[in-house]
Amino acid sequence: MNLLATSINHKTASVELREALYLNSDEIKEYFKNTKGSLFSEGLIISTCNRTEIYGIPLNKSTGPIEIQTALLKLKSVSGLKDDNFQYFLSANAVRHLFSVAAGIDSLLIGDNQIFKQVKDSFQMAEENNFAGFLMKRIFDAAIKAGKRAISETRISEGAVTVSYAAVQLIEKIFSSLNRKSALIIGAGESGELAAKHLSERGIRNLTITNRTLQRAEKLAKSLNARVIPFSEFKESLHEFDVILSATSSDNLIITKEDILLSVKKRGYNPCVLMDIAIPRDIDPEVRNIDYVFYNDIDSLNIIVQQNLLRRKEEIPKVEKILDEELFTFMNWYNTLEAAPAIKDLRDYFEFIRAEEVDKNKNRFSTEDQEKLEIVTKRIINKILHHPTVELKKFAESGMNGDEAAIKISIIRELFGMNKTISDVTSNK
Amino acid sequence: MKIVIDISNFIIPVLYIISFGFYFYDFIKAEKKFINLKRFSFCLTLLYHLIYLLLRTFEFDHPPITNVYEIFTILAFCISFSYFILELVTDIRGTGPFIIIISIIFQIISSALISDVYQVKEVLRNHLLGIHVFSALAGYSAITISAVYGFLYLILFNDIKLNKFGLVFNRLPSLEILERLSYISAIIGFSLLSVAIIIGVIWLPKAFPHFSYLDPKLIGTSLVWLLYGFGISSKFFGRWQGKKVILFSIIGFVIAISSTIVTNFIARSFHSFY
Repeated sequence: MNLLATSINHKTASVELREALYLNSDEIKEYFKNTKGSLFSEGLIISTCNRTEIYGIPLNKSTGPIEIQTALLKLKSVSGLKDDNFQYFLSANAVRHLFSVAAGIDSLLIGDNQIFKQVKDSFQMAEENNFAGFLMKRIFDAAIKAGKRAISETRISEGAVTVSYAAVQLIEKIFSSLNRKSALIIGAGESGELAAKHLSERGIRNLTITNRTLQRAEKLAKSLNARVIPFSEFKESLHEFDVILSATSSDNLIITKEDILLSVKKRGYNPCVLMDIAIPRDIDPEVRNIDYVFYNDIDSLNIIVQQNLLRRKEEIPKVEKILDEELFTFMNWYNTLEAAPAIKDLRDYFEFIRAEEVDKNKNRFSTEDQEKLEIVTKRIINKILHHPTVELKKFAESGMNGDEAAIKISIIRELFGMNKTISDVTSNK
Repeated sequence: MKIVIDISNFIIPVLYIISFGFYFYDFIKAEKKFINLKRFSFCLTLLYHLIYLLLRTFEFDHPPITNVYEIFTILAFCISFSYFILELVTDIRGTGPFIIIISIIFQIISSALISDVYQVKEVLRNHLLGIHVFSALAGYSAITISAVYGFLYLILFNDIKLNKFGLVFNRLPSLEILERLSYISAIIGFSLLSVAIIIGVIWLPKAFPHFSYLDPKLIGTSLVWLLYGFGISSKFFGRWQGKKVILFSIIGFVIAISSTIVTNFIARSFHSFY
């Protein structure tokens, strides 16, 4: 198999270089246009914030990483690139790499299943632009199958690996169902927005947002169908919320122990969860000593994140095993693509010789014996070809080493002159 | 039939230990393949235990309530059976090992020390007494389960407060669910104890000439019943919640156990049948 893959990713390049080589959908289409028919017969491009990867079946055997890189740099003029910034994969290794990407074990956040969707979208784009053909479709299907198996058969994607999601996971360890709870998000910055989205996705009944800049809170609230309260008034409503998540950039504490004591009293001592994901902290950590209050700051949430990441890392060998199985299945299928025509050609070649010789000599036999001659010669040919046919099938089914199978098949073709057409064979006689 | 009963005496604790093994392994590893296997094994154990109880009833011609070790095997069954129903209804499977271990303790003591009693007082063959004792035992089983969930609540509560995110944090259901399970178990326990007390108050004076309302077991059970009634109503009317309800459930259980030990093993009364 001659699949080529080039990757620049979080393991090989800084975020600046990755950003510089990020291809948007228009640039990907441009790359398709530039290389389809000149460099590749078909291919696929995955471009995310953590990686830009180009997969392709080259038209010429001489096509290599330099050509792929040159085509990429035609679109993006980036300085400071070194050879080390790129990874190159060939044949089965390229397929294996795509499987690793789809399964999330090559991601910055191990087990991140966002990449699974990104691989799907990338293929869809390649297909819509006629860049993905028969072989890429099969490779993509195999990658998706491998990714799905990794997610469903292992725990590679389990547990929160971001602070904001860890906060939600912890809230769900206290309250059984968020659809009867109300939450207040203080701060509509990146962390607050992410936490608000997670809570909304988990079905929180009432979501309220407050922010120093009201417009920003309103914008976020609109996208999440949430309520907004002015920042100057939120303290008066603290008792209304089962969950309070604070993520402002304030230099000082914005919620004191006294505020929470008052709120708990107003709530009739109903349990309340306080998540402080701001640096520096927004909520007085002393509130953790109040009996009906669960308080966590970014350090404690990071413990959950690190534990989950460790657990995901421990799942990598299981995922690798699944990917190897899927690669073996895929390579089996691919090798049969080469073996099946070789078997057919070999049989056609022998049948041609048999039929020709029988035709030449059949007049030497009586009419009754001519029929027997047909049967006997066919039987001889079948017996001669039985072992080579079995061996060819074995090459094909030997799995991983597709190159070795291809060499053996080409030797057989060479030995019997099967690279020539049957008319070539006859004209040489 | 006697030999089957004798063999079953040995097999039942083994079956409980096997089920506990599956539940415990699943608690530690959370392997998906064990989800159905552990439930199947536990179901089989309960079925076998039920057959064993019926065999004893038919063979000895009285319900197995005539001595403390027969009571223990019924308690083991009731605790596990109540948990099994709770697991089926709620589909919360992570708390099994903490309940089954209690059944194992009761069953091992029972299997080791149980005796075959053919001759019993005539009153022990009475059906009303059977219902009275079974409902009391099922009630105590339910409050035991309530207390176990209470303990689990406190462990998880402390783990979250102290930022300990270990096995307990990862495997147990949420605090709210544990509180609810403890509360539901307490309600079931309270209802069954109510049945036992009602039957007792109506029937016992007729059956026992030395009946006394000052009987220690009667006072103990009534005290436990009142305590749970107060706790349940406090939760129901929203006066108490969370840790306070849980602590009350655990205190109720400790009083119930202490009362049972005192009234069964120390105080003498008409209420002792063995």
